[in-house]
Amino acid sequence: MNSTVESTRARSRRRFGIDTVTETGVAALFFALLAVVPLFADDYMIYILPQYMLYGVLAMSLALLWGFTGIVSFGQAALFAIGGYVMGLCMGLTLPINPGYVGIVAGAAFSGALAGIIGYFLFSAGVRSTHFVLITLALAIITQQIAVSQSWLTGGWNGMFVARMSVSPGAQGSIPGDTVFYMFILVFSAGCYFVVRHILCGRFGKILAGIRENEDRLTAFGYRIDVYKSAAFALSGVIAGLAGSLYATTSGFVTPSLAGVLFSTQVLVWVAIGGRHSLLGAFAGAMLVASLSSYVSAIIPDYWQLIVGVLFILVIIYFKKGLAGLVESVGRWLQRRKAA
Amino acid sequence: MTAPLLETRNLGKRFRGLVANSGIDFRLHPASSHCIIGPNGAGKTTFLSMISGHLSPTEGEIRYRDMDVTRRSVVYRARHGIARKFQTPSVFPELTVWQNMELPAMRVERRRKAVHERVQRVLERVRLWEHRQVAADHLSHGQRQWLEVGMLVAMNAQLLLLDEPAAGMTKEEKAATATLVHELVGDLGLATIVIEHDMDFVRLLDTRVTVLHMGSVLTEGVFDDVANDERVRDVYLGNQL
Repeated sequence: MNSTVESTRARSRRRFGIDTVTETGVAALFFALLAVVPLFADDYMIYILPQYMLYGVLAMSLALLWGFTGIVSFGQAALFAIGGYVMGLCMGLTLPINPGYVGIVAGAAFSGALAGIIGYFLFSAGVRSTHFVLITLALAIITQQIAVSQSWLTGGWNGMFVARMSVSPGAQGSIPGDTVFYMFILVFSAGCYFVVRHILCGRFGKILAGIRENEDRLTAFGYRIDVYKSAAFALSGVIAGLAGSLYATTSGFVTPSLAGVLFSTQVLVWVAIGGRHSLLGAFAGAMLVASLSSYVSAIIPDYWQLIVGVLFILVIIYFKKGLAGLVESVGRWLQRRKAA
Repeated sequence: MTAPLLETRNLGKRFRGLVANSGIDFRLHPASSHCIIGPNGAGKTTFLSMISGHLSPTEGEIRYRDMDVTRRSVVYRARHGIARKFQTPSVFPELTVWQNMELPAMRVERRRKAVHERVQRVLERVRLWEHRQVAADHLSHGQRQWLEVGMLVAMNAQLLLLDEPAAGMTKEEKAATATLVHELVGDLGLATIVIEHDMDFVRLLDTRVTVLHMGSVLTEGVFDDVANDERVRDVYLGNQL
């Protein structure tokens, strides 16, 4: 009897798959922890972690599609890379305001618009999820090919150097140090997380959950699901583009491989390991796997991909909800012990 | 006599060589209900699918509220009040009953409070208020049918197309479902077309009945007349009565 009451209560707090109260708490704690990292971390960590955070934002853009809407995309890397190249081009311009911010906005707008247009063409023609996967795969390949072949614009195989942006809005701001930049990216990532979370908790998010659960039913209610799916893909493009533009200026470099299928697959692995039904899970999963990969690859360069692969398979078999699901069950177990 | 809410003229559907429906003339007035019965493969679901827009007819015309909707999309028809319950309950399994109901309600109401009130009203009507926090997956088969019917009410439907609403229900549930259909017609003024195999349920509904056989209308009338019709007994009811 007790357990039914408890589970009913737990469920009433869940809003379309998101346990809002708990996740907000955990997210606040997580970002607060990241904020104190520079106090004791070494220079390399302060330099590299912002890049991993942007991987996390990229992972959120996929979780939004995969976990919340039920659409898998292999094209997230392409949208990320496009944001990066747009940023690179903007940083080369002489503008009356800080070109970095122009690059962020332009990168997000470009990737978002591209995703929205592609999405609308496909979804309004009735393309289902399975075919959508293949087409996004092609998007990744095409984007990489263009980045290679149009070397006058992109630098070809050699890639493109991107200067680090200044944080101040004026055109002649000074280049920030690693710690300032770390905080800048952290604030941006946390902002992204809370904005997307807010969107997913509202009307739009509920409709996406409906699409994931039963799109035919939703159509028969009179919803234009092609419009909602395109909007979801566009939003995902905006987030991936934002992350990509900042990644370019953070790492100082973009190359065609950033757009490729290999990188897209990595994003999928991050999200699966982190938990596709949780934005925070996806974010943390990306940071964790990326850090782990670089750490392990330094020790055993030949086998690290194998280790990540095995981890992926274990997660798929034993923890379908990823790390986020694991944390959730541990939390519930603790609660039950406290109650007993 | 008021104008019919729905009218089909010479409606037909052909799948290559197979004639699924042909020459169906059908009329339904507002705030009334009608049953369609017939053996398996008689074309009942095909007929319903053409009205809801899931299939497009190969001949004939569908008029709804004096508009020609023959070539209109599912979305267009749904937005004008044609709502369909599928043969197997089609709900959102992982969402709670409340969340299920929010989705159709949000289509017609923008304000959060209005959505809330609408959901509450419908849940009470379809006897699912107590179960509002339960995932749809955990409902009984009968409750899932009610949830789907409720969702059609929540989306402001004027014409309900119910494909086997009493399938898999206990005797008590069937009686409750018949009462529910009567309430929807009587209190809310909705028009309903019900496809059913279960003759006890059809009798409870107490509506006019159309018998389909091999894609065409065999006969039409009140239940007792239809049930006593020699031809109906031959093709369909013989083994049930």
